Amino acid sequence: MELTDGDLLARILVDGDQHAFGELVRRHQSPVRGLLRQLVRADVELADDLAQETFIRAYKHIRSFRGEAKFSTWLYRIAYNVFREHARKRRELVGIDEERLQAEADPQTVDPGLRHDLMNALASLPLHERTAVTLCCQNGLSHDEAAHVLDIPLGTVKTNVLRGREKLKKMLAAWAT
Amino acid sequence: MNDPLDDLLDARLRDETPYIDDTGFTERVMKQLPRRRVSWSSQRSFIIVAATILSVVVAYFASGEGMFVHDAFAQMSGLRPLQLLLVILACGTAMTVAGLWAALTPRHDTIV
Repeated sequence: MELTDGDLLARILVDGDQHAFGELVRRHQSPVRGLLRQLVRADVELADDLAQETFIRAYKHIRSFRGEAKFSTWLYRIAYNVFREHARKRRELVGIDEERLQAEADPQTVDPGLRHDLMNALASLPLHERTAVTLCCQNGLSHDEAAHVLDIPLGTVKTNVLRGREKLKKMLAAWAT
Repeated sequence: MNDPLDDLLDARLRDETPYIDDTGFTERVMKQLPRRRVSWSSQRSFIIVAATILSVVVAYFASGEGMFVHDAFAQMSGLRPLQLLLVILACGTAMTVAGLWAALTPRHDTIV
């Protein structure tokens, strides 16, 4: 019988079993790496570095997981925080203006050829919409769970998902016909 | 009725979420984890083994270098076969009960 995430967490907490943590990493690495790839716009190496940092941070703070949310939701939240810290440092180092970045990525200014690829279209959304759409529509989180991960109000998540989807639909409409 | 574009979008988004193969990712994470501290259960096992060895050594010297064992064997050799069989049966039963108790007692895991 396969152990649940809760069983594995109990082994880590009681026995300090690192193999149990390894099993949790194996189970959740794909969605966490996928989310981070979306957030960093498909820079695979950077996404994997951030995912690695996510799991190491999760291990160090495993005792702070109270089981109020699903373990995967807790991991997404750490991943999002790791990404935000990275983005903040990058902005400070290079002096990149986030608004300018988002304006550059506005769907209306994107090469029309990119509309043929949903992943590129998704990557072209502003960060807050891209994140909300990725969490809710790709990773299957509820709006409540996404609000918990992103630490923003539920209404904002719904708005971001709706706006992101509308933009994607516009791009898909041209692509689908 | 759903907007066909919504259905198309949902389907495409789900399709565009491929499983990412591990390809050594978990191993890299495990190598970077902080060194494991000795867990309480390991410490407990060590304390029990050490206390047992110490008790045996103390008992050995306190009893005149194990003369009680010699005396016990001498007494047992004077037993009748039936009495000896009963002693062996009692010891075996006690060991079995202890073993079953240890195996069947549930562990108290932390509720997460």
